[in-house]
Amino acid sequence: MVFASYFDDAPLKFSPGMEQSPMYTLVGITDWGRDIMHVYGLTTLIVTFVFFAVLIPTVYVLFKFRARGEDQPLPEQVKGNHVLEIVWTVIPVILLIMIAVPTWQSIFKQDRAVKAIERGGQALKIEVIGYQWWWEFKYVDYDVVTANELVLPENTPIAFSITSYDVIHSFYIPRFGGKIDAIPGKINKLVYYSPPLSDNASAMGDYYQGQCMELCGLSHALMRFEAVVKSKEAFQKFIASHNTPPQVKTEKEKRGEVVFNQCMSCHTIAGTPSADLEIVKIGPDLSNFGNRRTLGAGTRKNTMENLRNWIRNPLAFKPGSLMPKFDLTDEQIEDVSAYIQYSTAKDL
Amino acid sequence: MATYLPKTGVISWLTTVDHKRIGILYAASAFFFLAFGGIEALLMRTQLLLPNMTFLSAEVYNGLVTMHGTTMIFLFLMPLIAAFFNFLIPLMIGAADVAYPRMNALSFWVFLFGGLLLNYSFIAGQVPQVGWFAYANLTSKVFTPDHSVDFWILGIQVVGLASLISSINFFVTIVNMRCKGMSLLKMPIFIWASLVTQILLFLSLPVITVALIMIATDRTFGTGFFDPGVGGSVVMWQHLFWIFGHPEVYILILPAMGMVSEIIPVFSRKPLFGYPVMVYSVSAIGFLGFAVWAHHMFTTGLGAWATAFFSFATMLIAVPTGVKIFNWIGTMWGGQIRFTTANLFAISFVCMFTIGGLSGIMHASPPIDYHQHDTYFVVAHFHYVLYGGAVMGIFGGVYYWFPKFFGRMLSECLGKWQFWLYMIGFNMTFFPMHFLGLQGMPRRNFTYAPDQGWELWNVVSSLGAYITAMGGLVFLVNVIYAFWKGKRAPADPWDGRTLEWSLTSPPPEYNFAVAPEVSQVDDWWYKKYKPVSSSGSGQLEKVEDPPYQPDVEDPSSIHLPNQSFWPIVLAMGITVIASAFFFPVSGLYVAGTGILITLIASYGWSYETP
Repeated sequence: MVFASYFDDAPLKFSPGMEQSPMYTLVGITDWGRDIMHVYGLTTLIVTFVFFAVLIPTVYVLFKFRARGEDQPLPEQVKGNHVLEIVWTVIPVILLIMIAVPTWQSIFKQDRAVKAIERGGQALKIEVIGYQWWWEFKYVDYDVVTANELVLPENTPIAFSITSYDVIHSFYIPRFGGKIDAIPGKINKLVYYSPPLSDNASAMGDYYQGQCMELCGLSHALMRFEAVVKSKEAFQKFIASHNTPPQVKTEKEKRGEVVFNQCMSCHTIAGTPSADLEIVKIGPDLSNFGNRRTLGAGTRKNTMENLRNWIRNPLAFKPGSLMPKFDLTDEQIEDVSAYIQYSTAKDL
Repeated sequence: MATYLPKTGVISWLTTVDHKRIGILYAASAFFFLAFGGIEALLMRTQLLLPNMTFLSAEVYNGLVTMHGTTMIFLFLMPLIAAFFNFLIPLMIGAADVAYPRMNALSFWVFLFGGLLLNYSFIAGQVPQVGWFAYANLTSKVFTPDHSVDFWILGIQVVGLASLISSINFFVTIVNMRCKGMSLLKMPIFIWASLVTQILLFLSLPVITVALIMIATDRTFGTGFFDPGVGGSVVMWQHLFWIFGHPEVYILILPAMGMVSEIIPVFSRKPLFGYPVMVYSVSAIGFLGFAVWAHHMFTTGLGAWATAFFSFATMLIAVPTGVKIFNWIGTMWGGQIRFTTANLFAISFVCMFTIGGLSGIMHASPPIDYHQHDTYFVVAHFHYVLYGGAVMGIFGGVYYWFPKFFGRMLSECLGKWQFWLYMIGFNMTFFPMHFLGLQGMPRRNFTYAPDQGWELWNVVSSLGAYITAMGGLVFLVNVIYAFWKGKRAPADPWDGRTLEWSLTSPPPEYNFAVAPEVSQVDDWWYKKYKPVSSSGSGQLEKVEDPPYQPDVEDPSSIHLPNQSFWPIVLAMGITVIASAFFFPVSGLYVAGTGILITLIASYGWSYETP
């Protein structure tokens, strides 16, 4: 085994600060996410109220009516009380309607947004396709295909069409809203406005974590991805540069380019012969690999060392991975890693 | 014919058709499988103790996830509930046995062999890794080429057959064999819960049976029902599975509710508050239970109208459930609550089930479910319902009826130790899972990254699991101690309300020497407590000598169904047929052998003197 574990090591933090989790679910920063939080907050309030409405009488009863000694005379044999029973039937119905109405509003609002796009509304159309165990993103209007890093322009309506190449996956970016399944043979639609850039956005944009949420086989736990929100200009740069050929600068990268011929049947780098093969590619597109923050479907930082280790033995990295262990010398691995890592880095 | 079979020893257990002995066999097997399910859970919690652990491989973990869920539902909870049905239904309705005693034996052996077939996957080294819900098309030949999924399909198929047989048996028993005077609205509430459960069982099990056949033919003959490549639908599997799977949840919870509704009145010394409303609630829950299956599938994109409908139907279930919870509190109100172990478990059912129910209302709302679905929040929710609810309630039943089953008392001291270890361990394990869910931790992940902030609550959760395991050991000690040195149980140790307490502990093989007659709910209670004649205030007073069932001088004068070998042979035949799917070449011969055994056993069965 190359690795002792599946993710990059980090110091353990036993901190209860939940909102620092990259997958924290209780913030919605898109319009859809905010709608959900509205229903969520109201429901939580009602449920908490009911919790205390049960807890307080229960504790009172257990304390007040505990048996005091043996052989007491029988307590009054009450068999029921219709008024009370009607009260605790009607009140829950009222509370449930209070939850149901905003629930329905939220469901139909999303439904209307999807239908508006179907009738020809303007949006950035992205096809999301789940594979065992990585994500493909197709920008259909721009003929751009990328993987595991979903690049979005800020403040733009996005229309996702979500499906799967093999088994059922589930597409989820918690801070943007809920999850929706990627189902083979079915296309699920989702429409919302991408969030604005945050105040402390890095030069590359704001990163948000996503993850597959439906058990999809051996390495289901290792199927993450990142969404990056960029300014509209930066997004246009990403689109414009994506399909330009890689910049092979050093000897090492040149040798790596030759080694990459072995990878072509599964992987594509735009602007190279690998893009001309008329076959279904079952590996992620690597056209802008050098710009990505992570590799192995969001599981590790995109460093040379991680990349070399991945190529050396993908199965140790991701159990069951379709990418086999290739018969490459250490030097070849070094070369091809340099090619994939450096030549594909676009000037953004 | 079979009257020469011995009344004691191993043979007597293999051939028994006595509902009480079959109940004990069910309970013993259930706890045997609980050991499997529990160890699986502990191994998983150890793997998740810290991020990036390599204690278990992905393959082993996914196998344990699948087997833990499947075992706990099909091989622990369902048979344990069946044990209570077997033992209690005839006693509570004043019958000599169930309607079909040999079918009863058959259903036990079919269940046992099915469970063993499923767990044989460990020995074969091909443990199913697709989750207890086995979503298509991960189960297809392409994505699971080995036999692991076949073990799951056929194991569940055989176990399901057992439940189908027993549900028809109990349904007929309850409908036809009630003692004189016990009209439907005078049945004990546990019998009501049982009746509704049987209806749920025989309406929902055929659906999973058909779905399992479809997936078996998909895998074996390439039919493609669930293969999108040839026009099949993967979502169809989810519909079929949950049309069975959601009523299944109520199949597990209703009997526990029934037990709690028997235990709380006894230990409050008051009748059940609002008996008719409780009956309507049980029936309403059973009815609505068939109209909510798609709430497991909100994220599959059902369409707005279907989503809205299933969401509201799901919320509606909260109404009868809430009524039950307040009625239990109403039962205790003004009573004299005795905190025996049985009652502690029953009260904890009410509290834990409330928490599980409330988190359930949250994800009945699809927008919230889009967040909570497949996170640990849902894991927390259904463990509060099925473990804090069903299992705790049934442990209440175990402590309450153990004296009646075996004629020995369980130790109250050890029982309270178990209760508190369970309560603390359970809440430590599962309450933090709500937080993990809010932090977005996905279910069924064999490991997680250290950059996610999930360490703290995972550590707490795993420690809780170990504490629960200690509680389980205390229970084991308690049972062994009870058999070894336990106090002999009197006929009516808890001052009970239903007919079984008028019998000796354990009851004689023939149950009732004199056919009982009832005139109201909790008839036995009112035979013990009569109005004080002079005052007319309705005040009740205990009578001197309650009319316990008399002994019979010559038990052989009472006709009892004969013991029979055929049920176990027939069950073997069915299991051999199922295992034919594992032999790609010689499968037909194996199936032929199984069919031959089945036919011979059916023939022998038909011509045997019952």
